[in-house]
Amino acid sequence: MKVGGFKRMAAVARLDLVEVFQSRWLVFHSVLYALLAALFLFAGLRESSVLGYTGMSRLLLSLCHALILVLPLLALTASGLVVNRHREDGTLELLFSLPVSRGEYFVAVSAVRYLVLLVPLLVLMPLLGLADRLLFGHVVPWVFIGRSLTISATLLWSFAGLGLAISTFVRNRTKALMYLLITWIVCVGGLDFALMGLMLQWRLNAETVFVLSGLNPVQSSRLALLSSAEPSLAILGPVGFYLANRVGHSWLFLLGTLQPALIGWASWYVAWRHFRRGDLV
Amino acid sequence: MDITLRNVVKIFGSIKVLDGVSLSVPSGRKTALIGPNGSGKSTLTRILMGMLACEGEVLLDGLSPFARRERLARRMAYVPQSPPQLSASVADVVRAVARIRDLEERRIAVIAAQFDLDLGALAGRPIRALSAGMKQKLLIALALSSRADLLILDEPTASLDVSARARFFSLFAEMSGTATLLLCSHRLEEIQHLVEHVVALDGGRVIFDGPVETFLQTRAVSLMEVVTTRNSHADWLRAHGFRPAFGSSWVRSVARAEKMALLNEIVAQFDGDLDNVVIRDVETLSDKAWEARSCADG
Repeated sequence: MKVGGFKRMAAVARLDLVEVFQSRWLVFHSVLYALLAALFLFAGLRESSVLGYTGMSRLLLSLCHALILVLPLLALTASGLVVNRHREDGTLELLFSLPVSRGEYFVAVSAVRYLVLLVPLLVLMPLLGLADRLLFGHVVPWVFIGRSLTISATLLWSFAGLGLAISTFVRNRTKALMYLLITWIVCVGGLDFALMGLMLQWRLNAETVFVLSGLNPVQSSRLALLSSAEPSLAILGPVGFYLANRVGHSWLFLLGTLQPALIGWASWYVAWRHFRRGDLV
Repeated sequence: MDITLRNVVKIFGSIKVLDGVSLSVPSGRKTALIGPNGSGKSTLTRILMGMLACEGEVLLDGLSPFARRERLARRMAYVPQSPPQLSASVADVVRAVARIRDLEERRIAVIAAQFDLDLGALAGRPIRALSAGMKQKLLIALALSSRADLLILDEPTASLDVSARARFFSLFAEMSGTATLLLCSHRLEEIQHLVEHVVALDGGRVIFDGPVETFLQTRAVSLMEVVTTRNSHADWLRAHGFRPAFGSSWVRSVARAEKMALLNEIVAQFDGDLDNVVIRDVETLSDKAWEARSCADG
């Protein structure tokens, strides 16, 4: 891309970032992250020795577990109403009357919507570790923090890609919101232990449950997270237990981060193809 | 920049919005695009801006705006009918447009100032919080500052007051130079001041394509109201296209060019039985005026 292209993309990104700040979306989810961390801290999890974990690792593990359920919803709502909203409120008509290419616009809004979710996490998690070191003198679990951030980043990208696809294909914002919520409910409700319940009730065969569960990026992120911290695999669930025994912890982490990332890129690419070829307004 | 359209068709779902539109606008010509709501004006301007795909051929200086939009957009400026409802501030939008177009922000501020729009004072205000008139002035300033070869203005003065409209006319005359203009408008005042050629659309088809003088003579209408208490003239009035209105009033629309001839005829016919005559030029081409014009045609 030429220098002019970067300049135009930066101008669009800056405009979208201002929109995000004005809508207080960034403040909302930063506060949500912080509240979750504070909640676990004050609920005494830091001192908990349940399942043999203590200290900051336990706090971060619990925080990440909560985030795995929350991040998909944040990513979907941040990205799933962006293109259709810009189409509706006249932003696309203004921007595309200027010499901005479709690619510059799409990359700019994708990056902004993804980074506004990721950057607060990149700040919060190391801060928690450093705070623990300063206050209690514990060693900062940098490896676990790094793995948690990698998992969060791929999970966010997975759902940001799905959100952008919905936002690009579904012009009506009310309908898009409905599809976003359905996606979140299906993914969060489709963890293997929930599917096991369905298997028992509807007599689904085990292969179907394994395949469905394996396709779910929330499930993959959860397995990757637990593979970083759970030595006994007791809480991995049946799919995680099976995979961990088959491929080992390192591969489970790799699979658990690659699969959401691939889903994110595939969804983003489908959205981009549709946006590139269709009517802009 | 010259514009060529050959058999352009645009369909949304099952609705054919443009149905075989063919046009040729030479470089530098100022053209009004008029028609009732739903006639396809905005769709046509968006096709020209490269925002919508269509069947048929659309060429701006020999290039397809859909395929080469980015390249052509450097030479085009557009004022949309509905300003964007952005939360971003005036300063943010001006900065973004200036960077994308490689313009000086000061140039935009100078043009805005000629519309009594102080960008410095408004810098922090979100676009959506501006009044409709302010938004329109800002969009016009952004468009005029770009020194474009093709200006597409969709109802540019709809929210401006009389003095701002007058300033727009003089500023536009001064700044548009040799640029090609495509103006969507319902206002005869704009058509009279800004263009030399008129293209009228109805039902997605071109129904008029000619000089503005011909359009105004044949298509601009006046409403004529005749008040008489004598019923003996009813047949004559009906035969001349009048319809009964309130009380003893009869009304019809008449082409502006023919109103004086009709008035003389009425005066001669009624010979003292005439209580009043009111003639009003229709200044906008609203749907009602369009209907009236159709009646006059009929």
